Amino acid sequence: MNPADHVRPYCTRRRFLGTTFGLACAASLMLSHDAAADDRQAQPKLRTYNGGTDPYPIPWLDKNGSHNQPAGPQLEPSHIYHFKGRVARCADFAGMGTDNKGNRIPFGTPTTDYGFMQGEYFAGRAPQRGTFTHI
Amino acid sequence: MYWVVPVPEGGLIISSDGKTATLEMKNIAVVDQPRWPVLDAVGMAAVMSFRMIWKATDEPVVYDDPLKQFRVEGFKAVSQLEAAVEVPSIGFSWKSDPLSESRANFAIIGEEVNGRYYSPRR
Repeated sequence: MNPADHVRPYCTRRRFLGTTFGLACAASLMLSHDAAADDRQAQPKLRTYNGGTDPYPIPWLDKNGSHNQPAGPQLEPSHIYHFKGRVARCADFAGMGTDNKGNRIPFGTPTTDYGFMQGEYFAGRAPQRGTFTHI
Repeated sequence: MYWVVPVPEGGLIISSDGKTATLEMKNIAVVDQPRWPVLDAVGMAAVMSFRMIWKATDEPVVYDDPLKQFRVEGFKAVSQLEAAVEVPSIGFSWKSDPLSESRANFAIIGEEVNGRYYSPRR
């Protein structure tokens, strides 16, 4: 294996800011002329930097970063942007329950909302599939 | 994403006509944060299990917003929920009455496209 295969990628612009910069470029200074010639002939290893495959939030949903909006008429059910698929949404629950001390405690407010999204979404520059719930 | 968690295989069952959905998840790690959305609201680890249903009514729903680039086509729905939560750090647990005893005043079920999948209708 040509040692230049290891050294060259670290001196790209993207790698310049990496934590390995100091070590990598110190190594590059020790390259012999022959090694540099070999390097020119070597095919660089291609890498992709397309981002993660996690779903992308609706960009304008809120300013607090909670990616949330109430469920309601004319509001978007999905919390995922670049999405197509099945959705359901509900809110303003009313119900009762009991705690571990036997107290009867109601649940539900106008913002007690749930939903699901099942289908295709676009992330990491490729279509993805998934099922998610908003709880 | 905040508020959103993946649904495990088999957790969501949708009828063949798309008009009824049952979502069931058990022992989801969540944060109990009673003072939310206060930024310094204390959060406590909690566990939640729930089952809920959506059943479409005959009332169609279409939301189409070219500015926000989304379109929803579906039906208003009836939705009910039963849940159980536990907050171990304070020794608290709570269980709802059966699903049939709850109701949601707003619910819809359908299909949506947004973002790159959206194209305005003329």
